Amino acid sequence: MASSLLRSTFLPLIHSQDGQSYASFHPKPTSTTFLSKKKNRGAVVAAAMESEEENFAMVEKFSEMKEKRMLDFSGNKPATPILDTINFPNHMKNLSLQELESLADELREEIVYTVSKTGGHLSSSLGVAELTVALHHVFNTPEDKIIWDVGHQTYPHKILTGRRSRMQSIRQTFGLAGFPKRDESEHDAFGVGHSSTSISAGLGMAVGRDLLGKDNHVIAVIGDGAMTAGQAYEAMNNAGYLDSNLIIILNDNKQVSLPTATVDGPAPPVGALSKALTRLHSSRKVRMLRESAKEITKQIAGPKTYGLAAKVDSYVRGMTGGPGASLFEELGLYYIGPVDGHDVADLVVLLKKIKSMPAPGPVLIHLITEKGKGYAPAESAADKMHGVVKFDTVSGKQIKTKTPTKSYTQYFAESLIAEAEHDKKIVAIHAAMGGGTGLNLFQKQFPERCFDVGIAEQHAVTFAAGLATEGLKPFCTIYSSFLQRGYDQVVHDVDLQKLPVRFAMDRAGLVGADGPTHCGAFDTTFMACLPNMVVMAPSDETELMNMVATAAAIDDRPSCFRYPRGNGVGTVLPLNNKGTPLEVGKGRVLREGSRVAILGYGTIVQNCIEAADKLQALGFQPTVADARFCKPLDGELIRMLAQEHEVLITVEEGSIGGFSSHVSHYLGLNGLLDGKLKWRPMLLPDRYIDHGSQKDQIEAAGLSSKHIAATVLSLIGHKESLHLMDI
Amino acid sequence: MTSCGLTMPGTDAALFGASPSSTARLPDPVLRVRPSLGRPSMASFRTRATMNETASASSGRTCTAPAGAEMSFYDLLGIPESVSLRDIKLAYKQLARKYHPDVSPPDRVEEYTQRFIRVQEAYETLSDPRQRALYDRDMARGLHLAFSARRRSSYHDDEEIGERGDWRNQWQSQVSELKRRSESRSVGGSDNMSWAARMRRQKAEMATNGL
Repeated sequence: MASSLLRSTFLPLIHSQDGQSYASFHPKPTSTTFLSKKKNRGAVVAAAMESEEENFAMVEKFSEMKEKRMLDFSGNKPATPILDTINFPNHMKNLSLQELESLADELREEIVYTVSKTGGHLSSSLGVAELTVALHHVFNTPEDKIIWDVGHQTYPHKILTGRRSRMQSIRQTFGLAGFPKRDESEHDAFGVGHSSTSISAGLGMAVGRDLLGKDNHVIAVIGDGAMTAGQAYEAMNNAGYLDSNLIIILNDNKQVSLPTATVDGPAPPVGALSKALTRLHSSRKVRMLRESAKEITKQIAGPKTYGLAAKVDSYVRGMTGGPGASLFEELGLYYIGPVDGHDVADLVVLLKKIKSMPAPGPVLIHLITEKGKGYAPAESAADKMHGVVKFDTVSGKQIKTKTPTKSYTQYFAESLIAEAEHDKKIVAIHAAMGGGTGLNLFQKQFPERCFDVGIAEQHAVTFAAGLATEGLKPFCTIYSSFLQRGYDQVVHDVDLQKLPVRFAMDRAGLVGADGPTHCGAFDTTFMACLPNMVVMAPSDETELMNMVATAAAIDDRPSCFRYPRGNGVGTVLPLNNKGTPLEVGKGRVLREGSRVAILGYGTIVQNCIEAADKLQALGFQPTVADARFCKPLDGELIRMLAQEHEVLITVEEGSIGGFSSHVSHYLGLNGLLDGKLKWRPMLLPDRYIDHGSQKDQIEAAGLSSKHIAATVLSLIGHKESLHLMDI
Repeated sequence: MTSCGLTMPGTDAALFGASPSSTARLPDPVLRVRPSLGRPSMASFRTRATMNETASASSGRTCTAPAGAEMSFYDLLGIPESVSLRDIKLAYKQLARKYHPDVSPPDRVEEYTQRFIRVQEAYETLSDPRQRALYDRDMARGLHLAFSARRRSSYHDDEEIGERGDWRNQWQSQVSELKRRSESRSVGGSDNMSWAARMRRQKAEMATNGL
């Protein structure tokens, strides 16, 4: 054993030397010389080391640690013998612990292999491979309910619950959803996508079970990031009070924001709670105390003192809960932990014990995991490879196609930086989405003026309102669908008091692979109905930069602007990315025409222009206008379009109650519908559009350029040309 | 530097009760606990044994520390704990040059090689900020594991094993406590019952009354 030890340590040591130091002191380094000398050395030194038994006693202790096999990330389909025998969780009941561990590793290989081809969420699934295996081994879905918070970590869960064969279709049109979906499988107990809902839902299921007299188990798996949201506390507060049997698994991997990193590298997670959770499992002082207690007993030999020391130890153990544990305990949850979230044996033993208890009440198990565990490129990436496109499994490098234009998110960040350089009062707020909102770039330039509040949209909005009262210019950058969570704060704290908070709503409209949970369909509706809010939408990246400047300039009332997921169209950007404020309430005409007017709101204007091109090919010249503002509407423009055309079509990528509704009210109130005008709205249909590519979604919604052109044709009575539209 | 190449100012052999040339065993192969707690005070306890070259050469034991002495990586490189990466590199290079098997005097080949290995390991651990942090944490905890054992598995794993053992004990006792609580709750009926406890009682009553 010694010699193998030596060899294994010795050889790499030689080669890991940096070449320079060798060259400097050894006149003629040759690898052969080294090798021959090494052989002799090896034998001799091995002999010398044999005598150091202390070392080997230690080695024995560590040889208990199972030698894990190297996982196969070669890019070929991994061999998954155990996973191949499992179609549903009930096939897992007879596996031994050893097999369960292998199963977790096979799941890892399978997930890396699949996601490398489809793109999607990678590292969160890798972090819960063991937990998923343990849960499905111990519990019986669908009778038992497992609710996964946020849901992007459910790839192993989906694989184990009968969807393995469809994993290559995940997040694609007509394929598996990227998040749990009740319609998709009975093993998905609750649809999730927004965070921090799992405990609430789980409590509801537990109480429902109690009322119906059933005895299944309910398990909610929530991350430490999702734990920063208020709803999680609302749920725990209620759970502790009602005392219903509920298992809450806190998956703590020290990742709160997406990414939990700056543009320069990893960062500690935001929030005081993260620190409290860390204290729970790294209470160094206490450990030192315990170690020294052990040492003291050894030195003061004797059974009596040993007994005393054992008491000291157990007392100290009682203290090791730390401040965080008492927070959960105060809320009425029984705290268990920390537990190694990657040890299947531990998890199975623990879960089985709790399962067998008749009345544990609400229990919180604090699991420590590592995001991306088992796949080195993910473990070492600053963003942990949370969300990826297709990548090479061997290196972990993502295959990103080069695009001629940047994303709207990037243009927004750059123009906000340009504004902030001129105006010291501009600050930016986001809710744990520094990467997705582009504000990590802002943070690099202005670290003291960028605030990541954790997953707390409600707080973010009112926090921004507070900043605004002090005269600052807060840009609250929250995804359109996540802003839904802070809506009352927008109404009551911002709009009612007319505080100049600027809302930058990214991911407005259809968002593609994430699906309806992340779709920003409703923001125009819920913002434009507020009396004091200025509501605008850019049609391209230059307009976006100008609207950032406009919002910065509007200092007497709240304002908002929406922009989609996707890349710009290639317009000319203003100098240094500094936009010019637009005149509020003024749209613009992009193309002059006659008979037909197409009035678009937002980036859908690009589809309107394409439709106009198609119609031109058939000999029609529609007028195309960009409304820019939904509130206040450009009344003159609308009046002109209504009076000078036969047909007016309003187009937006939003739900009913938004831009088109406002225009219709304006037309009605001004008598413009009393004549011969044919007005039609084109908007998102009154149903949820499934996940898929953005192109497919626009088609499904009927808002592509073909659809717009076809609508025009049918209104002007040229139905015979419809076939040319190739719908 | 001494002839051994390792700067060991002063000695505290008395504490460990062994002369440099003895081959006493360590009391506990697993846990070599430092008696002190705080880091600054540890310096005084740490082994600063002078290397008795003649003695070690003759006994065939190489320049290992006396029994009970824990030569930390910092000691090995002859640097204080608060050095920067650059200083660590310099110290390492000096020692590596000295102890490399190819340049060591022929009669000291084995011991130099051993020392070289240790110096190498020390450098590898201390030059990686993450590993260094873990190592520092271990030292503070008084857990100092032998070099070769550490090398076999990554630093991360080892420290986790120690930690995991602690965690397991803790949650196992928490689970036993929960079990006791659960049993007492499913039986008893105090006045101030929670909603779920009332439901449980109802259910139990329905079960016992037959349906």
